[in-house]
Amino acid sequence: MSGETTLTLRGPLSQRVDAGTVAWDALRGLDAAAIEAQEIWVDGSGRARLGDLFRVSAAPGQQVRLVGNLGMMDGIGAGLAGGALVVEGDAGWYLGQGMSGGSIEVKGRAGPQAGGALPGAKRGMTGGEIVVRGSAGPGAGSGLRRGLIAVEGDAAEAAGRAMLAGSIVVFGAVGAEPGLWSKRGSVVALGKVTPPATYRYACTYRPSYLPVTLRYLKRRYGCPVIPDHLSGLYRRYSGDLAELGAGEILEWTP
Amino acid sequence: MEIRGVAIEDTFAEAFTMRVARVVITARSPRWVREAALKMTGFATSVIGCKCEAGIERELSPDETPDGRPGASVLLLTMAKDDLPVRLIERIGQTILTCPTTACFDGLPEAPDRVGVGSALRVFGDGFQGSKVVGGRRFWRIPVMEGEFLVEEKFGLQKGIGGGNFLILATSADAALAAAEASVDAMAGTPGVILPFPGGVVRSGSKVGSRRTKGMIASTNDAYCPTLRAVTASALPESVNSVLEIVLDGVDAPAISRAMRVGIDAACREGVVGITAGNYGGKLGPYHFHLRQIMSGDGTAK
Repeated sequence: MSGETTLTLRGPLSQRVDAGTVAWDALRGLDAAAIEAQEIWVDGSGRARLGDLFRVSAAPGQQVRLVGNLGMMDGIGAGLAGGALVVEGDAGWYLGQGMSGGSIEVKGRAGPQAGGALPGAKRGMTGGEIVVRGSAGPGAGSGLRRGLIAVEGDAAEAAGRAMLAGSIVVFGAVGAEPGLWSKRGSVVALGKVTPPATYRYACTYRPSYLPVTLRYLKRRYGCPVIPDHLSGLYRRYSGDLAELGAGEILEWTP
Repeated sequence: MEIRGVAIEDTFAEAFTMRVARVVITARSPRWVREAALKMTGFATSVIGCKCEAGIERELSPDETPDGRPGASVLLLTMAKDDLPVRLIERIGQTILTCPTTACFDGLPEAPDRVGVGSALRVFGDGFQGSKVVGGRRFWRIPVMEGEFLVEEKFGLQKGIGGGNFLILATSADAALAAAEASVDAMAGTPGVILPFPGGVVRSGSKVGSRRTKGMIASTNDAYCPTLRAVTASALPESVNSVLEIVLDGVDAPAISRAMRVGIDAACREGVVGITAGNYGGKLGPYHFHLRQIMSGDGTAK
């Protein structure tokens, strides 16, 4: 199974679309008709099918590619457990909601709550990897239980809010209150960051696992890791001390 | 068969099935890689007295290691499968964890058999340890006074081979040593092989059991001791006054054969009379490395 399934947007989206009902994990093994029959929900007009919005070219394999600007489409990659999903554009809210494995690569920007928990839920993604080439909206990785999120641009406020574990690597600036209420997990800031007041400075050092992670991101996804990221020093802040305090913010010091 | 006037005896080295793990050690500089690797592979010449056999397989460039730092790969072998995790945990815990700047990774990630190493060592962190999963591999971060020790959770193990060997028969101790050194230098860095004895060389080859002491597993190989030529059933030609042995362990038979070919060829030099090998009549070990087949390039282990 080395093929690739491609869904190409027929035209610009004018209404928000909830694609959280799509069986994203199964798509890579389905034929075109089965993919087109997947149900979605369009604001204002209600129930629709993927085939109403996308032209589908199906070839069973490990990768599914979405072509088009999907900033208005929410829940892309919901429940993904394996394989690779590539979005050749922007993605909307709740990218990879409930994801437990596989990878999602967004060539553009991701909306709020990428890899994050749904309202009322304690856990966000529980495994897998999300790479966002552009910026990520508020709440990226909120409630993250396990997995890796890399944002090549900026991450808006509340990244890693109430994280339970896992890692968020941000190459750009990190918005306000990262990692607030987190129990464990790492927010790695390669750009500007201001830790919340409930985080406490620990030391400046070279985290031994970070070169492994960053080299992996560069090798697998081509993330813009530079040698100084690998050899440099990081300021470690422990927190959230209002919670378990086993989390960390690692601030790169160029 | 002769190579540059050195007789290659028509015999074979008899070797055994062991279990092997490959440990990748990295550190801030080659100095600390070396320090850690030497400590980890210390006192690991023979399972007879050391419970395991270990050696440095080769140095690794930063491009070859998971964290992009200088490194070395170490092979560690035991006779029993259950012994391997015990020895790994002991040695990594006492020699790598304690060594400044090091990290420790599994060098057999494709091996289906996995044993917990980092998962055992993590408790040294006393509850402050944490783990990260990168590319499907879990690593433990153990806080230490220097900073943080990183160790992979599970290490692969597979069947390996222990006891590949050849003996250098020389006219003098100096000639034997020079040939052994040349042989070891030639084999250095051969992938998949270690030479577990000091400097890769054994001066005290042994036979199974003992003539005098009940219960001894091994005793001096009197047939190859020049000083005993007159009082024992000597296997030495008249002109031989010193013998040194090279012992090889490896991940598989082809790796050992390749190294033996290179090592024997380098040992065939002035002052060396012959090359032979140790075996037990072929009844104990499943791997037979026939010297002449190896040197003629048409054989690995039979």
